[in-house]
Amino acid sequence: MNEFLTVPMVKEQEEMTSDILLDMVILGAGPGGLTAGIYAGRSGLNVVILEKLFPGGQIAVSSRIDNYPGFPDGVSGTELVRGMEKQAVKFGARIVMEEAMRIGKEGTLFVVETVGHKKYKTKTIIISTGADPVKLPVPEEEKFRGRGISYCATCDAAFFKEKDVAIVGGGDTAITDALHLTRFANKVIIVHRRSELRAVKALQEEVFANPKIAFQWDSIPSHVVGDEKVDGLEIKNVKTKEKKVLKVNGIFAAIGTIPNSKIVRGVVELDERGFIKTNHNRETSVPGIFAVGDVRDTPLRQVITAAGDGAIAEFSAENYIKSMER
Amino acid sequence: MEKLLKEQDVQYIKELFDRDLVDPVELVLFLESEGSDKVTDANSQYLLATEEIAREVSEISDKISLTIYKDDKEKEKEYGVKEISALFIQGKNTDKNVVFYGIPSGHEFSSLLEDIVNVSQGATRLSPASKETARNIKVPVEILVFITPTCPHCPRAVKTAHQLAMENKLIKAAMIEANEFPELSKKYNVYSVPKIVINEKVQFEGALPEDMFINKVLSVVDGS
Ligand SMILES: Cc1cc2nc3c(=O)[nH]c(=O)nc-3n(C[C@H](O)[C@H](O)[C@H](O)COP(=O)(O)OP(=O)(O)OC[C@H]3O[C@@H](n4cnc5c(N)ncnc54)[C@H](O)[C@@H]3O)c2cc1C
Repeated sequence: MNEFLTVPMVKEQEEMTSDILLDMVILGAGPGGLTAGIYAGRSGLNVVILEKLFPGGQIAVSSRIDNYPGFPDGVSGTELVRGMEKQAVKFGARIVMEEAMRIGKEGTLFVVETVGHKKYKTKTIIISTGADPVKLPVPEEEKFRGRGISYCATCDAAFFKEKDVAIVGGGDTAITDALHLTRFANKVIIVHRRSELRAVKALQEEVFANPKIAFQWDSIPSHVVGDEKVDGLEIKNVKTKEKKVLKVNGIFAAIGTIPNSKIVRGVVELDERGFIKTNHNRETSVPGIFAVGDVRDTPLRQVITAAGDGAIAEFSAENYIKSMER
Repeated sequence: MEKLLKEQDVQYIKELFDRDLVDPVELVLFLESEGSDKVTDANSQYLLATEEIAREVSEISDKISLTIYKDDKEKEKEYGVKEISALFIQGKNTDKNVVFYGIPSGHEFSSLLEDIVNVSQGATRLSPASKETARNIKVPVEILVFITPTCPHCPRAVKTAHQLAMENKLIKAAMIEANEFPELSKKYNVYSVPKIVINEKVQFEGALPEDMFINKVLSVVDGS
């Protein structure tokens, strides 16, 4: 049973007229955007954070985070970002549940338009739209998404009690998910395209010691087998080209992320993979627009780095506002 | 039982309620005692916690009252109760048509609080277009939303369904905590949440934006 109770901090669809000039609009309330919001609020800026789905971002679906400083016993993703959300609201950032759709320019100012056609006029923008999971590369993905294929182990693990499941991937996320799944599933098979895991040592030790976990090395998924629901996953060995079917009822995927940069395509410069190009001040190619966290061209995509980016970008944005006013 | 809500959270909710509540809201909770076939070893803890949550929330504001019916078959029939526990949010824009089956904990606690505010104000936060579409529906609609408390995007589906019901009394909308009702989850092939079932006919997974959610409802209505 889950004892935690999530108290909403969001003032949903708060009435705000577009005449008010804001200092900062932050796109996305993940760890990067919320941290920027905390700093902006404390600096007394008039700041709005737009969020399309739920405050917290990707990490809200993680069962356990062991590498965020200050939590020696680990912390759940939900708990960690709830704290960030409360802190941002406490210092005056307003979180509004709306999806940003377009960014326009009006002189030296920007206008952020939402899906509901609301407009926010602002001096600066911080893009913290993060990333989405890469879809399982099988022809049957759409048919079985939500019917056995899942991208959220914490949400859906309980439906596979005493069943066999596969998890595709070999990084930290895949391994954390695999460990979480063992609390419910009978057997968890990790399907990984290489012959060794990418996950950090500590997680590897844990996963190799778990008797419920098995491995399929050098393998990639090729088909999902089943009628109405998943009965198996066909995998192909990349070395021997051999195919075989794993009898599983659930398939969890953690094979990387794609940046949510559509909204700034054609506005700021992106790299060839779609990540926003930034400098060490987290400035994009357009003065006044900054980018943080998973959506930018960063070497490491983590909560701590997204939060760090948020602090730096907010600092740079404040300097930008000061230089505007000079 | 130990208090489930932290003092700090009570303070925050109190501020929210003091600011936003207008008219009275009645929480109507259906429970059954041990010995009933609806009470098992697996769910007895859930029932206790659900009662505690309802009690603590109702104590935060004078505008919220709590009525508990225990083993009351007649009242269960009157409300159309399908499972135990059932928590109805009754007020000026609802009529036994907004319900939580199972514990409204985890992320769904925010759905409960938002429902209370919406019912107390007699207004929803749906877009004007969605409101109009909902009000124009002329046939009974039943929406089931399966969730797990650890699913962060599930409240979006629950809130949309409940608000549609607040706009039109022909619409009944229920949250169902999937862990607590494994038989139901099995019956409706729930493998991922949120899973939405409309009039037993249309099923889909995922937290769709409001307009797409309503289109799914309309696809059922138009077909009947
Ligand atoms: C299962 C899992 C486990 C993980 N475990 C760890 C871990 O143990 N440790 C660790 O450090 N990291 C971990 N990570 C990585 C970590 O979650 C990310 O690096 C981090 O969340 C990035 O933060 P962000 O703020 O850049 O973006 P995100 O967290 O992706 O947040 C972006 C937000 O922007 C919103 N958004 C997108 N587009 C729009 C728009 N147009 N308008 C409005 N809002 C929008 C999204 O809804 C989202 O809420 C894990 C990730 C996953 C998925």
